[in-house]
Amino acid sequence: MSVADPPERVYAAYQPAIELAHALGITDRLVGTAFLDAKVLPEYVDQQADVDYVPSLPSREALLHTEPDFVLSGFNGFFAEESADSSVGTRASLRELGVQSWILSPLCPSEDGLTDRSIDPAEVEVETIYRDLRDLGALFGVEDTAAEVIGDLKERIAAVEDKVADADRPSVAIVSPEADGSYRVASGTDFGSHIIDRAGGTNVFGDLAEKRNVEIGAEKLVERDPDVILTDACCDGQLTEQDARSEVGAIEGDPALAGVTAVADDAVHPFLFANRSAGIRAAHSIELVASLLHPDLVD
Amino acid sequence: MVRAASAVLLLVATCVLSLVVGTYPASVSSVLSAVVSPGNGGDVDAIVWHVRIPRTLTGLLAGSALGVAGALMQGLTRNPLAGPGILGINSGASFAVVVAIGLGVTAVNGYLWFAFAGAGVAAVVVYTLGSLGGGGATPVKLALAGAALTAMVGSMTTIVTLLDAATLDEYRFWAIGSLTRAGSDALATVGPFLAAGSLLAVAVGGSLNLLALGEDMARSLGARLVVVRVLSAVAVLLLAGAATVIAGPVGFVGLAVPHIARALTGPDYRWIMPYCVVLGPILLLLADVVGRMLVQPEQLQVGIVTGLAGAPFFLYLVRRRKVAQL
Repeated sequence: MSVADPPERVYAAYQPAIELAHALGITDRLVGTAFLDAKVLPEYVDQQADVDYVPSLPSREALLHTEPDFVLSGFNGFFAEESADSSVGTRASLRELGVQSWILSPLCPSEDGLTDRSIDPAEVEVETIYRDLRDLGALFGVEDTAAEVIGDLKERIAAVEDKVADADRPSVAIVSPEADGSYRVASGTDFGSHIIDRAGGTNVFGDLAEKRNVEIGAEKLVERDPDVILTDACCDGQLTEQDARSEVGAIEGDPALAGVTAVADDAVHPFLFANRSAGIRAAHSIELVASLLHPDLVD
Repeated sequence: MVRAASAVLLLVATCVLSLVVGTYPASVSSVLSAVVSPGNGGDVDAIVWHVRIPRTLTGLLAGSALGVAGALMQGLTRNPLAGPGILGINSGASFAVVVAIGLGVTAVNGYLWFAFAGAGVAAVVVYTLGSLGGGGATPVKLALAGAALTAMVGSMTTIVTLLDAATLDEYRFWAIGSLTRAGSDALATVGPFLAAGSLLAVAVGGSLNLLALGEDMARSLGARLVVVRVLSAVAVLLLAGAATVIAGPVGFVGLAVPHIARALTGPDYRWIMPYCVVLGPILLLLADVVGRMLVQPEQLQVGIVTGLAGAPFFLYLVRRRKVAQL
């Protein structure tokens, strides 16, 4: 095949890539999907039921066995040279085999083979998703669908921004309780920061920027004192907000956090890791967070 | 006496340090007033009573348990490289707890028993492996058997956590020890077991002295070897198992502390044991305080710090012939 032909056999790894493929209407070109962080959005449930899915990332061999000509990934660990996640090899090594690849820009490292730490914060923006959609639309020959999706996202997000424009901006933390009593929070380099921002809040850990997820102790959470806490439940293809209730319970049950505004005000909300990933979920997540931060302005 | 008093003073100072140092910027005076007059609300009160005091108590209990367990193991096997971390006892206990959680046993007073059993199985396996071949259970052979078991049990822990998403979240704690998990209820649950283990350790101290003279000599001096061995082994399982339940698998404290105690007191186990009770927490709490300060705003788990500091000490013991005879 020549390079100019649109890819016909696409492998989508991670939630953002999978949902984006469905949104662009290329479900029938998916030869495999892997690693959902949560149940796909309702509008894609039927499409997802039609494609092959594995809960863990494939090995390089298993990936190549599906004979993809294109790999679309939602996170960069998939191609990292030294990654804790299973990696299928660098993008250059796949290209040698005729397999092209794409990492969604808000998570794309500065160089092939690198990890989270090498993300350019300037690329972590809602606009870069529109750019990705436009470029992928051209690549797959579905420009019109891409334009529609972009238009829809822009409209929904603008509508939220309009409603919350003049409201107070509560401080928000995206928090996952860890088994050892510590907490993992989303930093300013994480797309979650932008979701909070568009939804009319500020990420209370927005100043931390070295990596996307930061492990902190309860003390740091008390010090920052967020007005609202969103949980961060993850990593099962059937997960819904309902399943995040246990994280809410863990946070509310930690006596050290009893004085934190979010806990005292009953503002710890079940939320999913999938919702803070960069992808076409952005509109859904911004609407959801806005409804939690400004219930009187947004339903 | 002066030495013992200064060791206790140092422990008190370490505890104060552990209460004062943290990521929340609280002044020394505000921390101390929160300790003296609890329940007046406010952030410092919550942090002192629900973060720093449990954390310090965990360090106190786990540190002394690991120190005493290490001294017992070194005396029992006359092996300077023995310790609950090196010989795989902590990893065995840790793995058993992961299995228990995988089976749905999530209460501390439930998986505590798994920890004891895991520690026991690990001890038997390592001692059997280390005794195979010529020369019996030499120190280095036992340490190798312990390293092999630790590696294998580590892989098995990974498998269990991969099979079950619920235990996957637990993985980090049971792979690397930390003082930030145990709350007051967990500490209260393991307390009696730690007390029982410590009493047993004190009771066998004198017999361990005889054992240091060699089995034949000990027997002719009236030591009942089987009783001493069984009591010591039970004490080690209680101490190492319970310490792992509250702090995860912490390495090197149980190895290093008895050597430091021996350097201060000489070879008498009736003195080594109480010194281990005091020195173990000092070492563990200092390691934890260092872990809080090194990578702010994040924290290094105490297991990482003791590993970093302990590995060179272990190599030093292996290289130094003189200690290699207990």
